[in-house]
Amino acid sequence: MEVSFREEIASLRLGEGETFRGEGILAVTKALLQSGVSYVGGYQGAPVSHLMDVLLQSEDLLQELGVHLQTCTGEAAAAAMLGASVVYPMRGAVTWKAIVGTNVAADALSNLSSPGVIGGALIVVGEDYGEGASVAQERSHAFALKSSLILLDPRPDLPTIVRMVEQGFALSEASNTPAMLELRIRACHVFGSFVAKDNRRAPVSFRNPAVPARFDYGRLAHPPVTFPQEADKVSRRLPAARRYILEHGLNETLGPTEGELGIIVQGGLFNALNAELAAMGLSDAFGRLCIPTLVLNVTHPLVPEQIAGFCAGKRGVLVLEEGAPDYIEQAIAQILRKADLNTPLHGKDFLPLAGEYAPPVIAAGLAQFLDRYGQRFVAISSLAPAAAGAAKAAIGASLPPRAPTFCTGCPERPVFSAMKLLRQETGPVHVAADIGCHAFATFAPFHQGNTILGYGMSLASAAAVAGTNQRRPIAVMGDGGFWHNGLNTGVAGAVFNRDDAVLVVMDNGYSSATGLQDIPSSREASGEGRGKAVPVERAIKGVGATWVRTVHTYDVRGVLRTLKDALSDPVKGLKVIVARGECMLARQKRLRPAQAKAIAAGTRVVQSRFGVDPEVCTGDHACIRLNGCPSLTLKPSGDLLKDDPVAHVNNDCVGCGLCGEVAHAAQLCPSFYRLDVIRNPGWLDIWRLRVGNWLLRLLGGTPITEAPPLRPPAAVPVPAE
Amino acid sequence: MSAASDDRSAERPEGLNQPRTTMRQPTRILIAALGGEGGGVLVDWITRAAIEAGLHATRTSIPGVAQRTGATTYYVEVMPAAPGDPVPVLGLNAAPGRVDVFLGTELLEAARRAEAGFLTRDRTLAIVAHRRAYTVTEKSEGGDGRLDESRLAQAVRETAREALIADYEALARQTGAALNALMLGALAASNAVPIPPDAFRAAIRAGKAADSNLRGFEAGLAGAPEPAQPPAPRAGTGPDDLPEEARALAAEGVKRLTDFQDAALAGHYLATLRRFAALPGADGALVAALARHLALRLSSEDVIRVAQLKLRDARRPRLAAEAKARPGDIVHVVEFMKPGPAEVLSLLPPSLARRALRFVERRGWMEKSIALNVSPTRPLGFLRLRLLAALRGWRPRTLKHAEEQAWIAEWLALVERALRLGAPLAREVAESARLVKGYAATDARTRQAWRRIMDAVLLPALDGRLPPDLAADALLQARLAAQKDPEGDALDRTLAAIAARIASSPQRLAAE
Repeated sequence: MEVSFREEIASLRLGEGETFRGEGILAVTKALLQSGVSYVGGYQGAPVSHLMDVLLQSEDLLQELGVHLQTCTGEAAAAAMLGASVVYPMRGAVTWKAIVGTNVAADALSNLSSPGVIGGALIVVGEDYGEGASVAQERSHAFALKSSLILLDPRPDLPTIVRMVEQGFALSEASNTPAMLELRIRACHVFGSFVAKDNRRAPVSFRNPAVPARFDYGRLAHPPVTFPQEADKVSRRLPAARRYILEHGLNETLGPTEGELGIIVQGGLFNALNAELAAMGLSDAFGRLCIPTLVLNVTHPLVPEQIAGFCAGKRGVLVLEEGAPDYIEQAIAQILRKADLNTPLHGKDFLPLAGEYAPPVIAAGLAQFLDRYGQRFVAISSLAPAAAGAAKAAIGASLPPRAPTFCTGCPERPVFSAMKLLRQETGPVHVAADIGCHAFATFAPFHQGNTILGYGMSLASAAAVAGTNQRRPIAVMGDGGFWHNGLNTGVAGAVFNRDDAVLVVMDNGYSSATGLQDIPSSREASGEGRGKAVPVERAIKGVGATWVRTVHTYDVRGVLRTLKDALSDPVKGLKVIVARGECMLARQKRLRPAQAKAIAAGTRVVQSRFGVDPEVCTGDHACIRLNGCPSLTLKPSGDLLKDDPVAHVNNDCVGCGLCGEVAHAAQLCPSFYRLDVIRNPGWLDIWRLRVGNWLLRLLGGTPITEAPPLRPPAAVPVPAE
Repeated sequence: MSAASDDRSAERPEGLNQPRTTMRQPTRILIAALGGEGGGVLVDWITRAAIEAGLHATRTSIPGVAQRTGATTYYVEVMPAAPGDPVPVLGLNAAPGRVDVFLGTELLEAARRAEAGFLTRDRTLAIVAHRRAYTVTEKSEGGDGRLDESRLAQAVRETAREALIADYEALARQTGAALNALMLGALAASNAVPIPPDAFRAAIRAGKAADSNLRGFEAGLAGAPEPAQPPAPRAGTGPDDLPEEARALAAEGVKRLTDFQDAALAGHYLATLRRFAALPGADGALVAALARHLALRLSSEDVIRVAQLKLRDARRPRLAAEAKARPGDIVHVVEFMKPGPAEVLSLLPPSLARRALRFVERRGWMEKSIALNVSPTRPLGFLRLRLLAALRGWRPRTLKHAEEQAWIAEWLALVERALRLGAPLAREVAESARLVKGYAATDARTRQAWRRIMDAVLLPALDGRLPPDLAADALLQARLAAQKDPEGDALDRTLAAIAARIASSPQRLAAE
């Protein structure tokens, strides 16, 4: 990847007393190094990709510290990696996106947590919940409960986040329990500062290798020791964790020590709570609360005596807990019941059962709670509802959604153009969609996809459709999902079971949707330079598939033909189409600077872009409905008679060629043209143009460019775009 | 910063005594951008400038799917700092009704925030770029699916305390800077945040492309131009025996048809318009609609016309500008033409063309077509287009012409019959010609949709099975449905609903 993290890398080197400034996820990365980790691993996914991306470019620093870095092929691999801490006193951290990643990791997590760890193990999960989330809305909390993990949910300010990372390792070691640190999207991206400490070298690392562990059956998650391990979790590790949490003040009691009312809040929600209390006159911008508040930076396990102590003697306590089910509220209710306390407990009675706790939601819940107990507060008389009404009236129409779409020039778009043409020609086909950029095809203008069951799961999700449907289903999968698990769960399974389905693998060379990380099929010379250039086809054939065709995605007619072949082939069985085309984002990042440099150096470069003739375009926009490229847009026709806007290609065009391909494949119209600009033409170009222009004039035409003199003056530099 | 001076004990509800509270409020800034527009850079400049200026600052983002043109939001809080301040607890979420500054890089997204209550009369300064990035929904319609820009801007103006809606993009183009630098300049000029311009400059200098972004920043700081007003509709100069609304269109139509074919065709056009203008009940709007659509249909694009347009002199400067060619560069143009058998054979005289088409159809060759990537900047490509364009005089003898004439005759006859039932219905029939457009497959699809609508709505009206006013409305609804989602089933559903209405109780409908 060409994205450079120079500044971020420098901030990872800060020493004792220096001020770190940056985003939450980078602060976590620094905190890992301050905690003396031996190894770090993970699988990319927003909002935590950054952690791995930055470390990948910090090779020197990791060398110095002896930290082993592993870009795992999936979250299961990342979780399994924590196995090192089961038998060695090594601190290790892994990261992934929740809830999906935790689901994938679940098997390893159970078997990690059963024997427990002797070196601190920390799992940093990006809790992809609420606005901007891209996954099913579930809580990581359930995993902490079922596998007896520690769950940290720090207040979203950098000093607290860093402290919870450091304390997380210590707590993990004190209780021999793996810990999970959950960071919501906003917390991952929150910008702030903290006072750094020196990075620490781990006692065991590749600089100081460990002696292989002696055989100890007790460390295996294997019967019969799994039974004592289960007991150990609750009889020894859990109390140890609670003791540590209490003794080190991981949860914070803020506001006045005495008060009739109280609030218990997940650490991650604290800033949102404070903003609403401040608006009600019950706090300020420094978090000086007027109501006793227990901030749970550790949301599992709860410490019963801390909860009971906080609630005792209060007229009412409100629990602010985001998402469903209300695990924390249930646990608190049980604690109170067992402590024989009858403090009234509120939470999901005043606040919604599901969904993000955005400011208005918290405000409404708080107001109900305070009202119930006659607590006076400044009612927030918001002008927002009236403003919303006024805006609605002014607009006078419903606003169309703005879903993300394929980038300009994306190599995956043409495949869906072909699939839409296929649908228009032959009627509906069951399409099993997957996770990745190609899932944008579920939005306008393609509207493709009947199910999404998980990353790399599309083919597996079509297993029962194949054979029970009038037509062969088509499963779409990215190369990211393919290597993540699609090769095994999908291809191998379908071949083994003789599934009669079509699989389209988008071979764009990267795990693009998560930020252009390399995968096994990435070319060695591009991207991060870590690819092994393993052809996708070879892997597919390796598990026994025989009908495998490779198409170049921009060849819409070719893709369409191959799709038709795959659907109509008389022989039953899996048909795999590898749709190849490099991720345009990566391609442009590489090509643009190189081209600008070449042009400035006087080298011959041909640049292309597309255009639409407004006089020829009739304004039907069928091209847009088959394409959806951001650079293919509308403009006024400039013709008094044609009052509908015409199609227009804006300056973002990268010349991928899809416009022309679609115009041909769908027999659309002759409005499109391509401009080929030869920068720094060679003598052959110039002579050809001279002869051409002479003939053109003879035929009564006017050349668009005059032939330059054979020896062009020194190259005119153009600024890099 | 003398911010500590406002640090005083707040008025508090009774019963609570918490010492040392502050009335200091953060300035809350919400930014709405689209992926790939540099919203992240903008918010980074603001944060860094705030820190440079000695303020407390925090920011966070919901980058959405950055780079991929989805909506992205960024949120910043900055607050004056005083010595000895504890760590502030700044917010991570924008709250409706509690946004002091709103920065929007696009009108629809700005209106969307207004509709969600983030802009309020009491506090919000809205700085919005007067520009549109159309959503796929808007772009996809067969007609004009664009939202009304002025209403989007109005939504911002009506809800903000102060709205600065300017064409920052034009200014960005002039200065060669990115839009976000302009917006930052506008923010600095507004004095809405306690950050001096120099702190912003320092933040820009610390980043990439500092020179051009500083230029953009200074331009934004100096003030932005009002958005360009759409040109006022041209005065109705033209044949003055036509109603005023139709004159400019008719004049344009005459010009177009003379260029397309000859003066005779233009004369025929004017004569047709005059004939309709003289019919009892015909109003200006009807003649205007006819002036527009008759001109377009009479000059409906064929291969000859396309070749003619591709050879236009006026096209060259536009292409040269798009190519951004420097002196010494060579530009070539490649046209993507792919006439199918129907388009090529329809250049033959009707009887011959029909026979040839039947033959091709029997052979199953209708789908076959030759992809012609013609380059008019090269002699051979130029010659091919030139020869095609030279067929202009032959055109009236072609099948394509004959078919187009037949369609126009049918359409005009329907307009005339509809006019007997009232001008509104006639106007809708005239407007229905708007549906027919495009080439090849599109042309066929749109004609089919037109015929379906005429059969399902207009014929029942002409038969007296559907009252004229209802029919006019139904025609409009059907036309909108056909354009909304041309390959989808919107038209099917609309026609089914209309059919149900006709079938349910004709008597009741007639009585309405």
